[in-house]
Amino acid sequence: MMDESNPYLPYIVNIEDAWYETPVGDRAVKTFKVNFKDEKVWDTWSHKPGNCAMVGRLGIGESMFCISSSPTEEGYLRFSIMQAGKVTSALHDLEAGDTMTVRGPLGNSFPMEEWEGKNILSIGGGIGQAPLRPVINYVRANKDKYGNLSVLYGARTSDLHCFKSEFQEYQEEGTECHLAIDIEEEGWKNFVGFVPDLLLDVAPSPDNTIAVTCGPPILIKFVTQGLERLGFTADQIYTTLEERMKCGIGKCGRCNVGSLYVCKDGPVFSYATLKEIPEAFA
Amino acid sequence: MVDETILREKAREVLARDDVRRLIGWKRGTYGYESAPAVLKDASQADELIFDPTCVQNPASFITLEEKLPVPRGQDPDTRKVAVLVKGCDSRAVVQQLVEKAYTRDGVIVLGVPCTGVVDRRKAQKMFGDTSEPVMIKEEGDKFVFIIDGETREGPRAELLADKCVRCRFPNPLVYDELVADEVAVWGADEFADVDEFEKMSPPEKWKFWEEQFSKCIRCYSCRNVCPMCYCLECVVTKQKPQWTRRSTDVSENTAYHIQRAWHLSGRCIECGECERVCPVDIPITTLNRKMTRDVKELFSYEPGVDVEAEPLLSCYNPQDPEEYIM
Amino acid sequence: MGDYKFAKDKLAEVVGALKDYEVFAPAAVGDVLRFKEVEDASSVSFDFKNTNVPPKELMFPETETLFKFRVGKTDIEPAVPDESKKRLVFGIRPCDAMAYTIVEKLYSWDYPDPYFEKRRESSVLFGLACSEPVPNCFCTSLGGGPGSEQGLDALMFDLGETVYVKTITDAGDTVAKAMGLEAAADAEKKAAAAQEKDALGKIKRSIDTEGIPEKLPSLYDHPFWEQFSDRCLSCGICTFLCPTCHCFDIQDEMEAFDGRRARMWDTCMFPEYTLHTSGHNPRPTRKERTRNRISHKYSYFPEKFDVIACVGCGRCINYCPVNIDILDILEKSKQAEAKEAKTA
Repeated sequence: MMDESNPYLPYIVNIEDAWYETPVGDRAVKTFKVNFKDEKVWDTWSHKPGNCAMVGRLGIGESMFCISSSPTEEGYLRFSIMQAGKVTSALHDLEAGDTMTVRGPLGNSFPMEEWEGKNILSIGGGIGQAPLRPVINYVRANKDKYGNLSVLYGARTSDLHCFKSEFQEYQEEGTECHLAIDIEEEGWKNFVGFVPDLLLDVAPSPDNTIAVTCGPPILIKFVTQGLERLGFTADQIYTTLEERMKCGIGKCGRCNVGSLYVCKDGPVFSYATLKEIPEAFA
Repeated sequence: MVDETILREKAREVLARDDVRRLIGWKRGTYGYESAPAVLKDASQADELIFDPTCVQNPASFITLEEKLPVPRGQDPDTRKVAVLVKGCDSRAVVQQLVEKAYTRDGVIVLGVPCTGVVDRRKAQKMFGDTSEPVMIKEEGDKFVFIIDGETREGPRAELLADKCVRCRFPNPLVYDELVADEVAVWGADEFADVDEFEKMSPPEKWKFWEEQFSKCIRCYSCRNVCPMCYCLECVVTKQKPQWTRRSTDVSENTAYHIQRAWHLSGRCIECGECERVCPVDIPITTLNRKMTRDVKELFSYEPGVDVEAEPLLSCYNPQDPEEYIM
Repeated sequence: MGDYKFAKDKLAEVVGALKDYEVFAPAAVGDVLRFKEVEDASSVSFDFKNTNVPPKELMFPETETLFKFRVGKTDIEPAVPDESKKRLVFGIRPCDAMAYTIVEKLYSWDYPDPYFEKRRESSVLFGLACSEPVPNCFCTSLGGGPGSEQGLDALMFDLGETVYVKTITDAGDTVAKAMGLEAAADAEKKAAAAQEKDALGKIKRSIDTEGIPEKLPSLYDHPFWEQFSDRCLSCGICTFLCPTCHCFDIQDEMEAFDGRRARMWDTCMFPEYTLHTSGHNPRPTRKERTRNRISHKYSYFPEKFDVIACVGCGRCINYCPVNIDILDILEKSKQAEAKEAKTA
C-alpha cells in the first residue's frame, strides 16, 4: 500500500522492459514492465485485477492506468499505455532503465472471489484489453476455481491488436478465443466486424457466466446491449470505466459519475449499478 | 425613456418568428440592484423582459457563449437566428463581433435599446445597504429612485451611475434591426482622464499597485468569460498542450493572465465594463484595458465596435501603420 | 465549557496577548475582505458581515505544494504543513465553521489528506456570531444558524461594548485563558441569547430541503436546468467562493532544475474540468455542469456522507454575475414534475 500518511506521494519504479504493442505513432500502445526502486515496497504491496495506479513522470504529471498484470504475475507490474496527450507522450519517451512514478493501488477491483465457480467471458476492444488481461491471467492461474474461460477481442486492424502473442498462449491452453478486426485484411482468416457484432456471432450462453467488457464507450454500450439480448442479466455484466482523474483517491472531485467516484467507488462497476445512474449513459 | 410594454411587444413578435431560436435580454433578478440575463425561447416568455437602470449585463456576451455541439447523424444543424436586446455599449460588442466575423449579420436580430445609464451596484450598496429582495430603480431627472424592501429612497444620478455610463458616448445602439424606443441625447465625453491620472504614478508605484491587485486574483476567469470579445474556443490561458500560463495562483501567473488578456483585447475592447463589474475581488480591470484603448486610439486612430465595415485592427495591415514592417 | 467576556475596545490587546499563535482574521484590501494573518492587532475589527473569499483558504489554500523534486533525481520531498505551529482563526462565521465539518468528511474518507488535516488540527476556531445576516443568507435551512456552534472551539457575541465568549472545546478554553479573559455574568449570556434570537428573525430566505436529495436524480433529463445554465458564464465564482466546495487540480511545475507538484482550486464549472485527452467531454455544456454542481451538493454528497454540501452562506448568490440563484434552482426543482423529464 502506498504511504498511508500521505496518499499523494508516489513510488519510484524502474522500467525493466518496454515495448510497443502497436506500430509507433500517435495513439500507439506501449507496454511497460516495472519494478519498485525500493524492493521493500513489495512487502506491503497487494493488488487485485481491476485496480489502477497513477503512473507518471516527475515534472510532467500523472494519469490513471489500470494495472495490466494479475497479482499472480509476481515481482513486477505491467502498464499498457496509449499515447494521447502530455503525460502519455512523456511516458512513451521512456525505455528500459528509466524510472517513472507509480501511485497505487487505487480503486476497487473485479470481485474475483464472488466469481469463483463461474464461467468467465472477456470482451475487449483495442486498448480496453489492458484491464481485462489481469482478469484473464488470474483465472488462468487459478483454473480449478473457475469454469470455462472465453476471450473475445477486436481492434481496428490486426496491427492494432494488443498482447498478440498472448492470445496464442490462451488458445494453446484450450481457452476459447475469438479475434476480430473492423475491416477486411489480406491474410486475416478470423471474424471481420466490430466487437459487438463478434459477440452476437459467437453468441455465448449466459448460463452461470460473468461477462467482463472494456473498450471505447461506444463498444461498452453496444456490447452491453448485445449481452442483454443474449440473456445476460445486468448483474452478470461488469465493466471498468474511465474519466479524467487527478488525485485518484476521491478528493479532487472531477471523476464522478453521479454520486460514484470512478477512481474510488470504481473503476469496476456492474451494469446493474450503472443502470441506476442517469449520468453513466449520458 | 423605454416603454417596457413596447419592448415586450417587439420581443414577442421576434420570438414568435419561425426562424428565431432564442432572444436574449434582461429580466428581474431574484434580489438586489442588478437584473438577471434572460434567455428566452418562447414568445410567451416575453412578459418577463424588463428595461431599467438595473440592466447591467451585456446580452451580446451570451451570443458567443452558446455552445455548438456536433450535430448527431441524421439531424440538421439548427440555423435559426439569435435575437438580442442591446444597449448602446452592448451594441458595440455586436459590431465588433461582426467585424471579426464571429457570426454573420443575418444570423442575429438586434433590437436596439437607447439607454440613459445603469446603476453601479457597489455604489448603491454603499449608499443604501444590501438587500435580499429585488430592487426597482427608476430614473427621474438627475436622480435615481429606488424601491428597496418596500421603502422609497433616492440618490443623485451622478453618484450612482456606473463609471462607464458617466463617460458614455454611445447611448444609442450602433447596429440594430429595430429600435424599441426613441434615441437619446449624448451626454458623455471621454478624454481618458483616468488613464492619464494613473500614468502619473512612477513605475515602482504602478508595480506596487498592480502587485496588490493581482495578488487578490483567484483566477475564476469571470472577467474573461463575461467579456463579449473573449470567445476563443480554447483560451491560451487554459491550454495545457503546451501550457503557457500556470494554474497556480501566485502573483506572477495572475499578472501574466491579466496582461495577456489586456493585450488580446487591444483594439477589441468595447468598454462595456462587465469585466470589472463581475470581479469578486474588485480588481480594477478596466483601468488596464482603457490604457490599451487609449493607446490604440492615439497610435492608430482606431476605435473598435463603432463601424461594422471596419477591419479588425491587429489582423490587418495598412501601409500607413507606424511600424516600418508588417512584423 | 466556559463563559468569558472582554471589553470590545480591548480587542487589540486580547488578540495581541496570544504570542504562541498565528492569528488569522478578516483583513480588507479596498472593499474586499479575506482572512489574513494578523500583523497589527489593532487592525482586527468585528465591523464586517463576511469575507468575500471564505476561510476555507486557511485549511485548503488556493495553491499549495504537495511535494518537491529536482530534475534528474527521484527523491521526493513532501511539503506537509508543520502542525506544531498553532493557529487561531478569529472571527469566523458559524456557517464557514460548519463548512469545515462537511468538507472534513470527504477529506478523511478512507485516505487521509495530510495537508488539510494538519492545518485543520492545528487551528483553533473562534467564531463570531452573526447579528446581521448577510443578504441571501439561508443558513437556518441547512441546520446552521447565527449562533450555531458546529465546528467551533469558541463562539463570540459582539454585544456592542462587551464581547461575550462562550468556549465550546478544551482548545477554545485554553485560548480564552491565554487571552486573559474575565468571567462573564448572566447578563452577557442573556444578551447573547437575545442577539441570536433577533438575528434569526432577520434571516429572510429559506428552502425546505426535505426530499430534494432524493428528487434531483429523477430530474436529470428535465429541461428546467436550462433556465439557469443558459446564462451561466462557466466561471469559477460560485465554487471558489463556496466554503464547502473543495475540488482541485494537480499540476507539476518546473523552474530550471527545481520542480514541485502543486494542487490548486479547480471548479466543475470549467469545461476543461472533465475533458478527456481524447477530446471527449462527459459534461460538454453548461447545462450538464450546472446540473452536476447542484446535484453534487444537494444529492450526491448527502448520499455518501449524510449531509448536504451547502451551509447557506449566500456567497454564490451574492457574487454570481448573472443571478443564478441556488434557492431559485432548488425551488424550481421542487416544483418540477419528474415525469415531465421523460417527455423532454
